[in-house]
Amino acid sequence: MEPYLFCLPLIFCLFGLFAYPMIRAVVISFQKYKLSQLNKVKFIGWDNYIKSLKDSNLGMITWNTVRYVVIVVGMQFFLGFGLALALRRPFRFRNIYQSIAFIPYALSGFVCGLMFRWSFNGEYGVINDLLLRFGLIKEKISFLGTPGMSIIPVYVAAIWLGYQFFAIMLLAALQSIPQEVYESAELDGCGWWRRLFSIILPYIRPTLLTILMLRVVWTFNSYELVYVITEGGPAYSSETLSSYLFTRAYGSLDFGAASALGLMFAVMLLICAGIYMKLTKFSKAGDF
Amino acid sequence: MTNAPTAYRPRYRRKFKWKWGEFGRVCALVFYVLLVIAPIYWMFVTSVKTYGEITDVSRVTYWAKNFTWDNYAHLFDTVEFGKYMKNSLLYALVTAASVVVITMLSGYGMSRYSFRGKGFMMGMWMVAQMIPGILCTIPMYVIYSRLGLINTRTGLFFMFITGQIPFCTITMRAFFDRIPVSLEEAAFVDGCNRVQAIFKIVLPVLLPGMAAVFVFAFTAVWNDLMTCVIYTSKSSLWTINVTLKSMIGRVNVEWGLLMAGGIIALLPTIVVFAFVQRYVVDGLTAGSVKE
Repeated sequence: MEPYLFCLPLIFCLFGLFAYPMIRAVVISFQKYKLSQLNKVKFIGWDNYIKSLKDSNLGMITWNTVRYVVIVVGMQFFLGFGLALALRRPFRFRNIYQSIAFIPYALSGFVCGLMFRWSFNGEYGVINDLLLRFGLIKEKISFLGTPGMSIIPVYVAAIWLGYQFFAIMLLAALQSIPQEVYESAELDGCGWWRRLFSIILPYIRPTLLTILMLRVVWTFNSYELVYVITEGGPAYSSETLSSYLFTRAYGSLDFGAASALGLMFAVMLLICAGIYMKLTKFSKAGDF
Repeated sequence: MTNAPTAYRPRYRRKFKWKWGEFGRVCALVFYVLLVIAPIYWMFVTSVKTYGEITDVSRVTYWAKNFTWDNYAHLFDTVEFGKYMKNSLLYALVTAASVVVITMLSGYGMSRYSFRGKGFMMGMWMVAQMIPGILCTIPMYVIYSRLGLINTRTGLFFMFITGQIPFCTITMRAFFDRIPVSLEEAAFVDGCNRVQAIFKIVLPVLLPGMAAVFVFAFTAVWNDLMTCVIYTSKSSLWTINVTLKSMIGRVNVEWGLLMAGGIIALLPTIVVFAFVQRYVVDGLTAGSVKE
């Protein structure tokens, strides 16, 4: 009995706040469930699912999401890996340096979103001013008001907010590479590129695979930045699947349709994660 | 489980030798600092400008012409920012303290016992990571409104604390895993029971773990926006972030005020993070890197 007592809060969280709501979500997805008309709740079969699939925005939003995840996670990886490589060998004040370089990790999506929303402002924004000064554009761009452009600040904010996580995790992995391996490689005349591809990357592969998956899932599921910076606009052009879900749920209060849509892409995500784990022989990777 | 020797940091000085590799590294280090500082600097500069200077279409200034703290003062006079700061601080501190105590128990349980359903729980946690949060939020909102917990402090506390428990348990567990069981066994031999063994023997060694979990929980709640947006509509319960967000909606966005609020919102997390950055990094990487 003892271990269950110790873990009681965790068990409660997992079952009470995850498993049970999930079951409820499945039930709600088959119901006509509008928060504004709670007296008219009734089962309607697959209607919510059909309605969600027929949504004319769905194609664009799926494409937005895929692009968003690939660009953001890709850039986070490059920036984070670069930072980890730069921090690999100790130097004086490294601890202080890390405290500064990792700051965004401690910041909220909200503040970060606010910051970039202001920087990308169409009239008074600093980004427009810099681009003008360097002669890259002739006229100020209204980033947030142009469909197709408005998601750019979201990209930048998401990258800025997330690459430290890669850096922190990859740095730990890099430091687990025995120093002798480097030294003997250097003696054997390995160049920088060769060391990167033959030593560093194979060594950090397990960690990298885990973080990549976690990051993809988190990026996919986060909607705070979209909510703060563009609120999905103009005309849904900057929505990702999860922010669209939020808009659907709390904009129209149609919980049934939102649950159906959410369940569909949760299942899709789980299938993708399963395939990824199979392909990369994930069980040999880190246990996060 | 073995851990990456992050604690092992040899200190050595080398004679300075000009190398292109070193040069590139220094450039990279400078670049990364600038990348972090620039947006925060811009936020700060905006917060100390006058309204006229901020909204000058013809010219964007990179330092305040008329340096002023007016925006900060306005925030406290007109928007009652102090009240919301108190809310934010209250939520964050209570949550962090409760989560540390709760996850010490559950982390201990997960680390020291093997029991039926443990693997299942870890699997469930993995799946929970993959489910979009909003999907759980919808039924939770329904449950909350049935229980009358919408727009109550109790409801918020409950949501914050339970939201942090799973991740913090995993972190705490990783720290427990590093402490040898023999330490406790020695305490048992000396006549301690389990609870005594935890508090007298394990606790002092666990301080870094507790610090990490405290910081995780504190910053998560301090930084939260959506929980408060979804479960409250009464402004007396709002946090800093929700208040600031509500100020964007108006036609005329007061960017000076917003940036001042943003600076206030990010200060505590930066300060806390600077002090315990090592433990946080340790906590993040504790369970994750295999050799």
